[in-house]
Amino acid sequence: MDSLHKSSKIVVLVLCGFLVGGLSTYGIAYSAEEKPAEIKSTQPVTDCFESRIGYSSVTGVESVDSKYGYPNVKCSQTTGAVLWWGDPFYGTIPMGEMPEITDDTRGDFANAVVKPREPQLQYFNMGPNGCKTCHDGKMVPFPKGNKPRLIGMHQDIVENSLKLMHGHGALWCLNCHSATNRNRLVDRQGTEFSFNQPQKLCGSCHGENYIDWRKGVHGKRIGSWATGGKKRWWVCTECHNPHTVQATRFNRLKPEPPPALPRGMKNANYERVGDGEH
Amino acid sequence: MSKEKIKESNEADDLQQGRREFLKNVCASSVAALVAAPASAEAAVDPANPDADVTVAEFFQGHFILMSDEEKKQAIARLEKRYSAQYGKKTTVSDVPAPEGVLFGYALDISKCIGCRRCVHACVKENNQSRHDPEVQWIQVMKMPKGNISFTTEQLDKGYPEQSEFGDYGVQVGGNAYKTAGFSTEDAQNYYNDDLVPDKDFFYVPVQCQQCEKPPCVKACPVRATFRDHAGVVLIDYNWCIGCRMCQLACPYHARRFNWGEPNLPAEEMNPKTHYFGNRPRMRGVMEKCTFCVQRTREGRNPACLEACPVGARKFGNLLDPESDVRRVLATKRVFRFKEEYGTYPKFFYYIG
Repeated sequence: MDSLHKSSKIVVLVLCGFLVGGLSTYGIAYSAEEKPAEIKSTQPVTDCFESRIGYSSVTGVESVDSKYGYPNVKCSQTTGAVLWWGDPFYGTIPMGEMPEITDDTRGDFANAVVKPREPQLQYFNMGPNGCKTCHDGKMVPFPKGNKPRLIGMHQDIVENSLKLMHGHGALWCLNCHSATNRNRLVDRQGTEFSFNQPQKLCGSCHGENYIDWRKGVHGKRIGSWATGGKKRWWVCTECHNPHTVQATRFNRLKPEPPPALPRGMKNANYERVGDGEH
Repeated sequence: MSKEKIKESNEADDLQQGRREFLKNVCASSVAALVAAPASAEAAVDPANPDADVTVAEFFQGHFILMSDEEKKQAIARLEKRYSAQYGKKTTVSDVPAPEGVLFGYALDISKCIGCRRCVHACVKENNQSRHDPEVQWIQVMKMPKGNISFTTEQLDKGYPEQSEFGDYGVQVGGNAYKTAGFSTEDAQNYYNDDLVPDKDFFYVPVQCQQCEKPPCVKACPVRATFRDHAGVVLIDYNWCIGCRMCQLACPYHARRFNWGEPNLPAEEMNPKTHYFGNRPRMRGVMEKCTFCVQRTREGRNPACLEACPVGARKFGNLLDPESDVRRVLATKRVFRFKEEYGTYPKFFYYIG
């Protein structure tokens, strides 16, 4: 009997040891998870995203405006989004030639500026030639046709090239990307466009939205409110990702913090009491 | 008379004497302050206590609209000097008048809004609101369950008494007593704090000053501190406001905010480009609200909330110009106004794009 008591005591002791050890390791792991978040929140955000995370971003520069000492942008410290524009035309170039349409859809392009998209082509290959660094016809031969096949590369853009759902599966890569000049876009007629002007390509199918965009009803424009004033236009690909547009129309975002509760209120649960039918 | 009584009367005399002297001093100092008021505006401002010199001159200042040009110039100079000293940077207070031939209007696409609250915080950065205690925000984003909005005949006819076989003797409760046309604010969540937006089965409605053509707040103001300018924007002369909060009660949109305490505005976050009726720092006990960023829009630039919106749901422009963005929206989209049954004729339009 004594030996049984002893062994049961030992078992209990060992179990207690496991419990204490487990708690301490959990504590360490928990604190290790918590710490980086605290450090992150104290550092000011200077590289912030404009409309959507990963689509276009802007680096904060101090004292762009000489009179008031404004920075070019002010960013949210909680989400990293651009909140306030000191200089709405920072880093922009003229939009370039736009087709003249004489009916109601004519746009006000005289003073239109855009943020160039071409510099983004360098990110993937780290070369000044952009996509042409590899897609020069020798290192990667020019494809013969536009038949969908499984592609081992660029899976960060399109995960499975056989499941590219733009146009419900009717379109594939080379319907929009030029086969022989990968730094350019191409439409069905074979006309090549710059990545700075994706609206010319997108508009060839999405006419209704293109008309609204030209009129100023669809999309975002900042700068002057007056007709004929200088405005920065957001182009299609600054808000929409054509590669994932069927899966997620818009990537969801983290919202900015809610307003402070009125004095004496502990939480806002009362708002959710009536959630649904009354 | 006993000794004690004599002592008491002497004390009373002393008190009387003290009161007289006190009154004399007060009169003298206030007269001196009145005389010195214009001079003090020119004097240097003590950064530690910047209000000390200028409050008297500001206190006797008239309604800005009724001032002469010379008085306006003096008032602006006083404010610029005080703000520059207080916040440690060159601050300008503009009094640019509203442009001629312009009626400002706003349109917001509720089918695009994702409820990210970027407009709310852009507005705070632009307009020098109090950051905390009290936290003042001019835009409120309401999160509404889908199905809250309806313009169907069935929905609009709800609330009328049913026809009975004895005739129509029911009490007429007026149009739609239970559900208003468009969206109602019941079930709206103002303090939602989701991880990701937009939430499924919800839509979002940002509400700010609707810049009514028939503003109830202007009717309610007993001192006419709030008024409508000729570009259609309702503005406030903060120095003329007496803080009675009648306009806040009159506003059906909950658009007006009151400074219950001294505003907390950190100097490094202060926007030094200000307008007299717009984003100049306010004082305790005055009303404030959205001005369509009067300091920007009067100089041709878009409001800060529009520039911050990541989905392009906000459109601003001149309602008298058929080529402007707002007029294009009014011409081509399904547009409605918030609480339009109140007859306030807002110039802030909601549309479904």
